[in-house]
Amino acid sequence: MKAVAQHLVAPLLILIAWQALCTTAIVNTQFLPSPAQIASAFWELSHDPTTWRSLWVTTLRALAGLALGVLAGVPLGVGMATSRLVDHLAGPLVAMTYSLPKVAVFPLFVLWLGVGHATAILSVFLACLLPIIVHTFQGVREVPRVLLWSSRAMGDSALRRLLKVQLPGSAVQICAGVRVALGFAWVVAISTEMIAAKEGIGKSVFVYGESGAYAFMFAGIFAILFVAFAIDRAWLWAAHRWLAWSEAREER
Amino acid sequence: MPTLARIVGTRLRTAAVRCISPLLLLALWWLAAERGWVRELFLPSPASVVHTFFTLLEEGEILEPLWISLLRTAGGGLLALAAALPLGLWMARSTAVGRLLDTPVTVGLVIPKITFLPAFILWLGIGSISKIALVGVTCVFPLIVAVYHGARATPTVFLWSGAAMGVRGAAALYRVVLPCILPSVYAGVRVAVPVALITTYTAEMVAGGGGLGAALMYAQRMFETPKVFVYILLMLLSGMLLDGILGLLRRWFLPWMEQGQR
Repeated sequence: MKAVAQHLVAPLLILIAWQALCTTAIVNTQFLPSPAQIASAFWELSHDPTTWRSLWVTTLRALAGLALGVLAGVPLGVGMATSRLVDHLAGPLVAMTYSLPKVAVFPLFVLWLGVGHATAILSVFLACLLPIIVHTFQGVREVPRVLLWSSRAMGDSALRRLLKVQLPGSAVQICAGVRVALGFAWVVAISTEMIAAKEGIGKSVFVYGESGAYAFMFAGIFAILFVAFAIDRAWLWAAHRWLAWSEAREER
Repeated sequence: MPTLARIVGTRLRTAAVRCISPLLLLALWWLAAERGWVRELFLPSPASVVHTFFTLLEEGEILEPLWISLLRTAGGGLLALAAALPLGLWMARSTAVGRLLDTPVTVGLVIPKITFLPAFILWLGIGSISKIALVGVTCVFPLIVAVYHGARATPTVFLWSGAAMGVRGAAALYRVVLPCILPSVYAGVRVAVPVALITTYTAEMVAGGGGLGAALMYAQRMFETPKVFVYILLMLLSGMLLDGILGLLRRWFLPWMEQGQR
């Protein structure tokens, strides 16, 4: 109970100060709507099915891209860590594209595929791919040699060694990679919607901003932040439980 | 004993092998464009991209937007560092401040900061200031965490030794704590720099107002695909360049930092 209260102190202080600044008219509510105004806009939005639909579209794009990134990134990372040939072939490409802002290829995808789910998901996928590859690679590389030798001495096949030693041994790193990728997924999903999209909560927020409905804009911003934060916490919690046997698991 | 010649030979062979996939990709691109497998509008040939690069360079449409983007990145990054250093140190020094700011920092670290862009545009306009502010907000959280962890990991013994030798207060901060947190701060900066660059480009793509991101979006709206490729490649190179500079900085200023540490 005390721990929960401790977490609430700073947000509550900020909220009170913010409301005070607005009611005393020190800041213009045209530029910064008060928490009360935003809450009422939030309430109104939550009764509008299109809001839920936009939020759902964005979440779907972020998570679908992330899932594809995991499906492609984990095998690639494992391949790079276990085979020199794969490392030599894929390594340079990973190193080259690591520092590229993945949103930059979005306009190109728009040219190729038009505006829609496919383009957004493809961009998210690319952004998620690299952190997952890099973390998986590191994780598999960090599996203690002794464990691999033991597995070999016990006559395990390569597949069994992969499933029983290498993947569990790198699970902590892979989960950390997925968490990094999750952050990227939101950023890319939302920014692609702000750049060019027909629907999505990023688009809605931008439209509210352009049309001057600032209370709604802030309500939308907070809706995104809530969902993104909740999903991050959920993943952290799931990974923590799932890796309960590991000593190196990420702090909650 | 491997001879020097053999070591050099292996290194060269590895380097050559590692060139295969980029070259293959380039060859495939060239072939696809040359043979007309894809339309010029979708995939211009490498030659036309290079040609466009030089035309743009002559017209001054390369260096100016690149300079604007880099300045915004640097401005936001430095602003974030200037805020993160005192905040992180204060959080490490005072338990109350540490507890108070723990939640905002954890939340701030996780949420997608780009969502604030419309709000920043409302407050600060569509020019450079809103972008610099967004870059600052995006980078400040990882930097705070880096400073905080670095400061927490400073051995108390060092502070005691310093005090015994008459180094106290502000002097201790400058002569003991700062050198101790440098590797950690460097690691934070290494994370923050690509993030700053990405945020700058994204903000420019969304809001316009000059810079490489805006130039890229403009080229795409005009369906000038070679220009799109030039700007994407420039973004790629700028990222690699900044990473290279960071590597050099570590070699100059932190030669004692462990190689494996990043």
